[in-house]
Amino acid sequence: MASENDTRRAFLQKAAVIGAAVSSAGEMGAAMAQGSRTKTGGSVPRRPLGKSGLEVSIIGVGGYHLGSADDDQAATALVHHALDAGINFFDNAWEYHEGLSESRLGKALGSRRKEAVVMTKVCTHGRDKNVAMAMLEESLRRLKTDYLDVWQIHEVIYENDPQLIFRPNGAAEALAEAKKQGKVRMVGFTGHKDPEIHLRMLASGFPFDTVQMPLNAFDATFRSFEQRVLPEAQKRGMAVFGMKSMGGSGEMIKKGGITPDKALRYAMSLPVTTTVSGMNNLEILRQNLDIANGFEPLSAAEMTAIRERSRLWAADGRLELFKTTTMYDGPIGREQHGYPDPEKLPA
Amino acid sequence: MKMEQIPTRSFGKSGVQISALGMGGHHLGSAEDRKTAEAIVARAIDGGVTFFDNCWEYDRGQAEDWLGSSLKGKRQQVFLMTKVCTHGRDKDLALRMLEESLNRLQTDHLDLWQVHGVSFENDPALFIRPNGAAEALMQAKKEGKVRFVGFTGHKDPKIHLAMLNTNFPFDSVQMPLNPFDATFRSFEKQVLPELNKRGIAALGMKSIQGHGDAVKKGVVTAEECLRYAMSLPVATTIAGMEKMEIVEQNLRIAQNFKPMSPEEMASLRDRCNQYADGRFELYKVSLKYDNPEARLAHDFPLDMQQLEVKQMMRATENTGKAFPSVSQ
Repeated sequence: MASENDTRRAFLQKAAVIGAAVSSAGEMGAAMAQGSRTKTGGSVPRRPLGKSGLEVSIIGVGGYHLGSADDDQAATALVHHALDAGINFFDNAWEYHEGLSESRLGKALGSRRKEAVVMTKVCTHGRDKNVAMAMLEESLRRLKTDYLDVWQIHEVIYENDPQLIFRPNGAAEALAEAKKQGKVRMVGFTGHKDPEIHLRMLASGFPFDTVQMPLNAFDATFRSFEQRVLPEAQKRGMAVFGMKSMGGSGEMIKKGGITPDKALRYAMSLPVTTTVSGMNNLEILRQNLDIANGFEPLSAAEMTAIRERSRLWAADGRLELFKTTTMYDGPIGREQHGYPDPEKLPA
Repeated sequence: MKMEQIPTRSFGKSGVQISALGMGGHHLGSAEDRKTAEAIVARAIDGGVTFFDNCWEYDRGQAEDWLGSSLKGKRQQVFLMTKVCTHGRDKDLALRMLEESLNRLQTDHLDLWQVHGVSFENDPALFIRPNGAAEALMQAKKEGKVRFVGFTGHKDPKIHLAMLNTNFPFDSVQMPLNPFDATFRSFEKQVLPELNKRGIAALGMKSIQGHGDAVKKGVVTAEECLRYAMSLPVATTIAGMEKMEIVEQNLRIAQNFKPMSPEEMASLRDRCNQYADGRFELYKVSLKYDNPEARLAHDFPLDMQQLEVKQMMRATENTGKAFPSVSQ
């Protein structure tokens, strides 16, 4: 175990040095660092962010994994490398690693804030508007900025969440107020559990600009966000952020369900604005860039073939544990909903 | 001479009478020791309980084993049920499990044999497929080893309805029924009326929601939960009783049972509806109540804190055998 960790750390240190070199070399960016594996002339395509006039890269850096990078330097290197390579969408959440993910992103962006489209999430989990507004101030401070491009309600996964969010003095009022104050440009919500809960959020009539959901080859045939929520969001002209393209923690890959390449390509070929991908080291960022550079969506026939191949494993949700277990439900949400903590209720 | 009585009800349309309170097998296997279990069973029978629940995998066979010795000389007085734990696997495995259950229960027939823990969305398809557990149920019935067949599950009314839609001739269906269920992914609303319509015996369980968290937190009392469950149109309500004091408490409620009024039931439902996020029904929203047999068969992660997993690890130590294993 120890030697494995040491090896990994040594590798990452080397990777971080390369990353630092790249960032100091400025525009040189991805192409050099990626060396021979870079596709010549590659660049990450962009898509319009809803009706905002902004454009975002088709792949985004997941905020949770920034907090699990080895240290602040590694996180900074990762963010700089991503920006240099043309990735401009950065996901985050107030509760990730108790603020570390936001602080790291804020530190890494520094004077490059304007190059990035920054999203973070508010973690009221049913609590009052005031809690949401206080969290917003904290997020802005950590992210070292005075505005967010996107502010989303985090983890709408419990069946009474829509009701709690839209009640008088609930989080929905905070979203409207923050937008009015110019502190956030766009608002939305996220969740990984159940398409029905997402649909109830949309049915509220609240003017959400964005929505985030799990989108992957296995979702298509199991409690499917792709089938049920994605068309509805498109119809409303909302920006859609896909996530969990590899099952949350790569379960789909580890269990041999699909290759990482195919999994990411499938998610990115859907009609989404961007696909948020967790990357806690440069190696994973490079792999993602290999796919994103000059990305061409899969054909309809290829998509169908992947879905059909996935159907067998998808049928009981074993590769989408975020839908079928409590493994991915954060501790703050559990606490607010009277659920046992992860120690007592691991799955 | 038997002085005490519990109301009896018809098992579906069969006309066979069973007690409105049934004894849960899992808790029997968790009693202090075999002697305690035997005393609990004897007391329950004296008190009017005739319905006994069990399952092939409870306490790694101990629950069946203890019930078997407890019923020595009393087998004819009871309606004996146990469950089979194929979780999607083949008919042959089901039939081997049946033989083990019969051996442990020291009997040559079961009154009721149910498919255990139908919890995953592809379970109905796996059950009804050629060479699936459905064929084992038919064969066991034909051979006279079981009188009635059914299935159980605690997860999702939709999965229960999918089982019913296979059109397999089930005699019984077991499910969670309690005042929290009434307003959250409700078996009471979605499944119970369908069973009543088809004349299938409805068996209630988890009247205090498994571990009784809501009772401990003072939201409801155990008595009102049990009375609520027994007031529904069910054949019996199965309750876990691992201690004599719990047996006495449940016997007292069952012996004096008067159905709740519709108003009482409605007001209890309203009280529980404040917690409509599943916090008191973790069996619906997490894997907590999914035993290792189910998880392994479906390749879901095990919980090393779970009693059954600890029992499994102890039992498989140094044997070199994979779990699950059915002895030949």
